[in-house]
Amino acid sequence: MKSSRAKSFGGNEKRLEQLTAWLMAGPAIFGLLVFIGLPFCLAVIFSLTTLKLDSPLPVEFCGFEQFYRVFADQGFRQALVNNTIFAAVIVPLQTTAALALALLLNRPLRGMIIFRTIFFMPVIFPMALIAIVFELIFAPGPNGLLNSFLLFLSNGYWQPLDFLHNPHTALAAIITLSIWQGVGFQMIIMLAGLQAIPAALYEAAAMDGADRWQRFVHITLPQMRNTIIFVALVTTILAFRLFDQVWILTQGGPNRATTTVMFETVRAIFKRQDVARGAAMSVLFFMIVLTVTILQRWLAKEKREID
Amino acid sequence: MKRWMFFTVGVVLGWGVLVGCEAEKPLESTKTTIDVWFHTGQPAEKTVIEDQVRRFNRSQDRIYINLTLIPEGDYNTQVQAAATDNKMPDLLDLDGPYLYNYAWKGHLLPLDNLVSPRLMAELLPSILAQGTYRGRLYSIGTFDSGLGLFGNGKKLRAVSARLPTSPEEAWSIAEFNQILSDLGQIDEDGMVLDLRMDYRGEWYSYAFSPALQSGGGDLINRRDYQSSGGILNGPAAKAVLGHFQSWFKNKYIDVNTDANSFTGNRVALSWCGHWEYPRYKEALGDDLLVLPLPDFGRGAKTGMGSWSWAITSKCRNPELAMEFLEFLLEPAEVIAMANANGAVPATRTAIGLSPLYRPGAPLHLFARQLEQNAIPRPRTPAYPIITSVFQQVFQDIRYGADITGTLDRAVKIIDQDIRDNHGYPDLDRADQDRAVR
Amino acid sequence: MRFSTPGQGLCWKYCSLVASYVVLALLALFYLAPVVFMMASSFKADHRVLSEGSSMLAFFPADGSWQNYLDVWHRVNFDRIMFNSVFITGCIVTGGILINSMAGYALARLQWRGREVVLVLVLALLVIPFEAIAVPLFYQMIIIGWRDSYQVQILPFVSDAFSIYLFYNFFVGMPKELEEAARIDGAGPFRTFFLIIIPNAKPVFASVAILTFLMRWGSYLWPLLVTTGETYRPLPVAMAAFENQVKLWGDIMAFGVMMVAPILLFFLLCQKWFVKGVAATGTGRKF
Repeated sequence: MKSSRAKSFGGNEKRLEQLTAWLMAGPAIFGLLVFIGLPFCLAVIFSLTTLKLDSPLPVEFCGFEQFYRVFADQGFRQALVNNTIFAAVIVPLQTTAALALALLLNRPLRGMIIFRTIFFMPVIFPMALIAIVFELIFAPGPNGLLNSFLLFLSNGYWQPLDFLHNPHTALAAIITLSIWQGVGFQMIIMLAGLQAIPAALYEAAAMDGADRWQRFVHITLPQMRNTIIFVALVTTILAFRLFDQVWILTQGGPNRATTTVMFETVRAIFKRQDVARGAAMSVLFFMIVLTVTILQRWLAKEKREID
Repeated sequence: MKRWMFFTVGVVLGWGVLVGCEAEKPLESTKTTIDVWFHTGQPAEKTVIEDQVRRFNRSQDRIYINLTLIPEGDYNTQVQAAATDNKMPDLLDLDGPYLYNYAWKGHLLPLDNLVSPRLMAELLPSILAQGTYRGRLYSIGTFDSGLGLFGNGKKLRAVSARLPTSPEEAWSIAEFNQILSDLGQIDEDGMVLDLRMDYRGEWYSYAFSPALQSGGGDLINRRDYQSSGGILNGPAAKAVLGHFQSWFKNKYIDVNTDANSFTGNRVALSWCGHWEYPRYKEALGDDLLVLPLPDFGRGAKTGMGSWSWAITSKCRNPELAMEFLEFLLEPAEVIAMANANGAVPATRTAIGLSPLYRPGAPLHLFARQLEQNAIPRPRTPAYPIITSVFQQVFQDIRYGADITGTLDRAVKIIDQDIRDNHGYPDLDRADQDRAVR
Repeated sequence: MRFSTPGQGLCWKYCSLVASYVVLALLALFYLAPVVFMMASSFKADHRVLSEGSSMLAFFPADGSWQNYLDVWHRVNFDRIMFNSVFITGCIVTGGILINSMAGYALARLQWRGREVVLVLVLALLVIPFEAIAVPLFYQMIIIGWRDSYQVQILPFVSDAFSIYLFYNFFVGMPKELEEAARIDGAGPFRTFFLIIIPNAKPVFASVAILTFLMRWGSYLWPLLVTTGETYRPLPVAMAAFENQVKLWGDIMAFGVMMVAPILLFFLLCQKWFVKGVAATGTGRKF
């Protein structure tokens, strides 16, 4: 701390401040340690054992056996692939969509607040509810909402699909509803980023005769760089956390087309009482998230050095 | 701002008090409370059990039954978790075959010494068979189940299908495939068979493992319950699942998003259990036929077993819990529940009284099947893993996965679980004996 | 003006204006359709929900009734479930802003041994998503016998690294004059914090509260793992269980509307704060 304020107080008061500081920070630190730190250590420990929920047999230490098994499991490998596809589609798509929406809304025009409200609304809907509503939208047969809409658009040529139960469309369906729900959140962050760009920059550019596109490329994008990286990071991590929609709508099916790391993890403890296996998957999940985060920090830092 | 916050907090707290009071049933201090868990599947069952509890609580002044209803979807998981943290109730109903796992872990009390001989003699053999694990009785159902094909008479007659009335006359698989194809040709959308794909969980093992057995396969080798190798991935099982896959491929199966494919006259056949009889009957009237499942080669087989009651080792007053159980097993109560959910009554007297199951009655086939060709699901503590694996297998097969690969993987998971648990050895029964004492 | 492009005609400007309104309106329709569909369906008989999906009737409750709402009321203990959700989220939000703001303040403004270590700890824990610890935490909760209770759904979420980080950032950037005056008057850190800091830091409190609310309100995974029956179950899990039992789509949609209506109202009233709260996640320092 730069301030030398503390020195002006006597020793007693200093001790008092120590105590008070711990009192103030204590509850939160305690909570973090007990509910995040401890379970995190336990995850690592459990993943090296054969721990099962409610087993009368003794727990044994088994080294990296759980990890071998997890990697040998086709379901888990498919989950990794699905999460990656999900991230690869949703990160560029949702980030671009959020930026585009923010650009559309970031103008002093009438009614922008109404549109902002509408696009943001799904964010306050619990995912469980959205998943269930979309179950009907994706309903199979010509009576399904989306099917009948596509029939209408294609003038009757569309072949109705059972979106959620077709291995080729199930993940796409999950992606669609995830974007529908999530884009509003990112849009708001982008909007805040746009509004933080000094207007003087644009004025100067206009003076130099730059057109819209040039201003977007040379001012908006560089200024938004860190916001965009942040949004991309959050979306990537969200992509790996994918669970609610899958659990409610497809249970990982059809044919593992929508299984995810979190789905496999929860299934391991929920359906098979296999705590150790779930813990091993949790550890792997954490390593993925950590890698993504480090990558983002590195990208963001590089920029600062250039500045 | 501040006033507004106080107001909000006040409202929430007041609401909490109201909600809390509402939930707390009036407790008379003289009564011993018995906590009871019951699954909620069909609304009718829920109504009956609530009514039974109310009447029982009123009928005597020693026992208070505190009923908790838990959704069927993840009931077993909830019980498993409760077993771990010792929050089991005194008495609960279990989805049939999960019983053996709980019994192995020592969570259940043997009932042999609690059941009156009169009741013992009354119970159906299928109920006793399923409630028994390693020689001791752990659970008693108030009803058993019937599984078969419900047919739409009008549609079946339109393709002049033979209509079997007993397990011996069941359609052979070739005949069944022919009927599906005939039906498919006259059906509007070609989808003619309903496998109740709208259900989740245990349904798949309950409904489709009898098909495996009928073809000569099974879920696990029942000689010693140590491996599924060569049984679940044997040629017989592969052939049976091959038929199922071909039905999906040929688009004979209605996926049944709204549970109305049979009642809405969209399909001719519904592979389903007794519980849908009331609703199906209402929709189809005299056109409703009750048929045995097809014979995949070694004679028609069907499922048995349903939810059954067990007393946990946590229960302090097993005799009192048993008293409630005996009440539920009185003929009038058995009939009340059976009439509500359409199930096979668990006692002989009740079957004789049942307008649905007595000889000549519309569902007598189901009562007969229980004595003749119904097979209990594997009686092993490994059942939870077996069923979870088979459910996945069925889903995979549905979407066209390679059958051999799928089954080999399934066998690997099951066998590994059994090995991990050292073959589910007989454990020191000290826990249980302590509980009995 | 920023958006007037020199050298281009009025017509072009006008066209682009119309174009963006058209695009926005189409997108808005796409966003509203599922919501309107849900509301319309909640007034329909169960079989009509699916069968009318192919016509515009999907969005209009012709001869609708309140029957589905009554059904939901009879089939589940709705007020209990609603209370659970409100109570759990309320406790996390109020407990969270209290505890995390104090920690953020202590980290930003007080001198104490261990401050650096704790700061690093908070930043490190920021990286661990809840999903990575759900399994061992579940086991931990079972061992201490907390499964199926309120505390199991509240306590693990009260202290939150990200909230601490946001508070820390805000307090670090706050001018020091105010509190210095208070401290010279002899007020200890607690008094200073509650009497001087909090009244001057309302925006950050509102933002963190809204953000916590958004994260917790719809949570599904954890309550799915740790609750049994309706007694402690919050809305999302109860809704999925409701849907799982019987596919009576009219009832299910009515449940959905009942669950989301109060929150929608709350959102429309405090929209400004929702937007500020979310914006805060990205920029960190701007409230």
